[in-house]
Amino acid sequence: MSSRSEAAPAEPWGSEGLLSWLTTTDHKRIGILYIVTSFAFFLVGVTEASLMRWQLAQPQNAVLGPEQYNQMFTMHGTTMIFLFLMPMLTGLGNYVVPLMLGARDMAFPRLNGFGYWLFLLSGLFLYSSFLFSAAPDGGWFAYVPMTDRAYSPGRNIDFWVLGVQLLGVSSIAASVNFVVTILRLRAPGMTMNRMPMFAWTVLVTAFLILFAFPSLTAAASLLMLDRFLGTLFYSAPAGGDPLLWQHLFWAFGHPEVYILILPAMGIISEIVPVFSGKPLFGYIFVAWSSVAIAFLGFIVWAHHMFATGLPAAVQAFFALTSMIIAVPTAVKIFNWIATMWGGRIRLQPPMMFAIGFIALFIFGGMTGISVAVVPFDWQVTDTYYVVGHFHYVLFGGAVFGMFGGLHYWFPKMTGRLLSERLGHVQFWLLFIGFNLTFMPLHLLGLMGMPRRIFTYLPNLGWDIPNLVSALGVPFIVLSVLVFLYNVSVSLRRGALAGNDPWNAVTLEWLASSPPAPYNFAEIPTVRGRRPLYDLKHPDRPDAAPRA
Amino acid sequence: MSTMGATPARAGAAGEQDPSRTGMLVFIMSEAVLFTNLIAAYLYLRFSAVHWFPGDVLPLYLGLPAANTIILLSSSIPVHWATLSIQRGNRRNLIIGLALTFIMGAIFIGGQAYEWTHAGFTPQGSVFGSTFFTLTGFHGAHVLVGLTFLAVTLVRALRGRFTAEHHFAVQAAGWYWHFVDAVWVFLFGSLYLL
Ligand code: HEM
Repeated sequence: MSSRSEAAPAEPWGSEGLLSWLTTTDHKRIGILYIVTSFAFFLVGVTEASLMRWQLAQPQNAVLGPEQYNQMFTMHGTTMIFLFLMPMLTGLGNYVVPLMLGARDMAFPRLNGFGYWLFLLSGLFLYSSFLFSAAPDGGWFAYVPMTDRAYSPGRNIDFWVLGVQLLGVSSIAASVNFVVTILRLRAPGMTMNRMPMFAWTVLVTAFLILFAFPSLTAAASLLMLDRFLGTLFYSAPAGGDPLLWQHLFWAFGHPEVYILILPAMGIISEIVPVFSGKPLFGYIFVAWSSVAIAFLGFIVWAHHMFATGLPAAVQAFFALTSMIIAVPTAVKIFNWIATMWGGRIRLQPPMMFAIGFIALFIFGGMTGISVAVVPFDWQVTDTYYVVGHFHYVLFGGAVFGMFGGLHYWFPKMTGRLLSERLGHVQFWLLFIGFNLTFMPLHLLGLMGMPRRIFTYLPNLGWDIPNLVSALGVPFIVLSVLVFLYNVSVSLRRGALAGNDPWNAVTLEWLASSPPAPYNFAEIPTVRGRRPLYDLKHPDRPDAAPRA
Repeated sequence: MSTMGATPARAGAAGEQDPSRTGMLVFIMSEAVLFTNLIAAYLYLRFSAVHWFPGDVLPLYLGLPAANTIILLSSSIPVHWATLSIQRGNRRNLIIGLALTFIMGAIFIGGQAYEWTHAGFTPQGSVFGSTFFTLTGFHGAHVLVGLTFLAVTLVRALRGRFTAEHHFAVQAAGWYWHFVDAVWVFLFGSLYLL
């Protein structure tokens, strides 16, 4: 700890070959490892989802049995949240943030590697449960008392509690690293007030993780003790309280959804200005709205518990905070629209995904406000309305944002451009497939179809919406395949990207594509919010904001 | 911990000060949130319970925990003194300070072990027992981590690895130890006094 070397130590296993990847501490390689691994988990999650939708395509279908269906939605939810979106956004952050800041690496490169390997290990551990026919089956929020030993005697829930705790450690390690990197390793002149918006959102997200994950650790530890040692935390007959689980879990779980969406919002805030040829409108507001969302995100958790009979005043409080959180969110949306307003918009794939994000996120945000209305929530809680709502924000929001980011930064990571034509095909397949799959769910929810049922009887009025929903899935799958095809072809034959294919404004586009291991031969000095723009236009740089 | 303090292989441009300090502080902050959650869970259960203490264990025996508390809290002094000493380049006092802290921490753990084995109630017998053993257990585990941290630092100090300029590990061990102490204040207050 005390001895520190100035020069970069040589990679012990060289810079080529498998061993060099297994032992790497380079933030760019770790970023790529995160991205590739989490994309693989995405494919698994999509497969599980496709099986569920297939099962529900018709009444009394027999693709999956009830027990298998429970495992599918549990592993689908757990995978999409913990093994796909979080590590994917960590991967993008890992790759891009140090470059944006003009740093040479993350603050703690070895801790960074540790975080990745622990994530991979936890993912494999969770999935090893299938080998024992004991995949977790308690839903992604594993409510007690159902998940107590008495009602879930198998190993299924044991896999889940251990797996998510390991993932928590990995996320905390990554977050410590992000916070320190962003607070301490910025290029000279890059004040907080000049930092790219993606770095802002990654910083806020890291703090959210540091404050939210301990609640999950606490909740899961107590469940583990109840299950393994016979303590009584969640046991109502003995004086424990099952609602304690819900409080602790959602004290983590609600900030978690902002953990998933904020980095995606950061990506959108990078893409929209570049493809509109204008600076981001209302920088200060966009930056601080993230902070506001983070604060409010910690005082809305009980809106997941309106149906549990909380006191009326408590319900009113949580309904109100949940509605207020729409304000900073809307601030962002208005600023993106204002950024586009009067700009010279280039409708290239990253921008298409950004616009798709905005449209779908507005829709998901609206249904979100509707379930903050307590009596309405009583009507639709635990129905497909809720499933529709959160897929609009998680998939329509975070996943579209992620694809935007992947299209945007792929040239930086590989030195080659993705095919734009295939990018547009992918976008439209995904947009159409997504809406086909998830729009009917709102209707189903209003008609009373509960979530987490493995089948239903005919003639309840649910047949057609379920069929439509199932028909959307092939579009989504095709879209993902088009993306994979695009990547594999462009990796070998894509046009060379050059350093700055999008005429962008942030520092990652100053480095070569792909960047050298040390990122920058010379660390640039920053004078404004668009350092690369200033370098490209020395005659008319941006007016420098207050430091 | 040693991973966290690892030398940044390619430190960035702006870091005038060791970024490990920020890292350690942020990590401790997250640990503090964990204990906040555990204490909140305890308070939640306690104040929604009809009967809290199972009839036969009331009241908690206070003498040993109180003595233990005094020992743990005062153990923050030698570790602080150790840090001050190495800042002035005094390696001898560094070693004495670390060793003293370690011994006091070990006595605390011994006291805890005695209490656990002589408690007269079990984690399985009542919610009170569950919370008692879990909260003190979580804290005890952190004390053990702190002791390990101190021991490693002590060994490095004995080998002469620290100087007036380079001694971040000493400071980090000290911070962690203060943190473990501070948590105990809240645990003692809520478990024994409330
Ligand atoms: C191919 C695209 C997807 C399809 C067809 C799909 C389908 C479904 C279905 C049918 C359910 C509900 C199962 C039930 O309640 O019975 C579900 C649940 C869920 N999905 Fe998706 N989904 C997709 C993508 C995603 C993505 C990208 C995410 C998040 C990033 C996600 C997160 C979740 C979560 C958290 C649940 C709740 C699981 C639970 O009830 O415990 N899904 N999905």
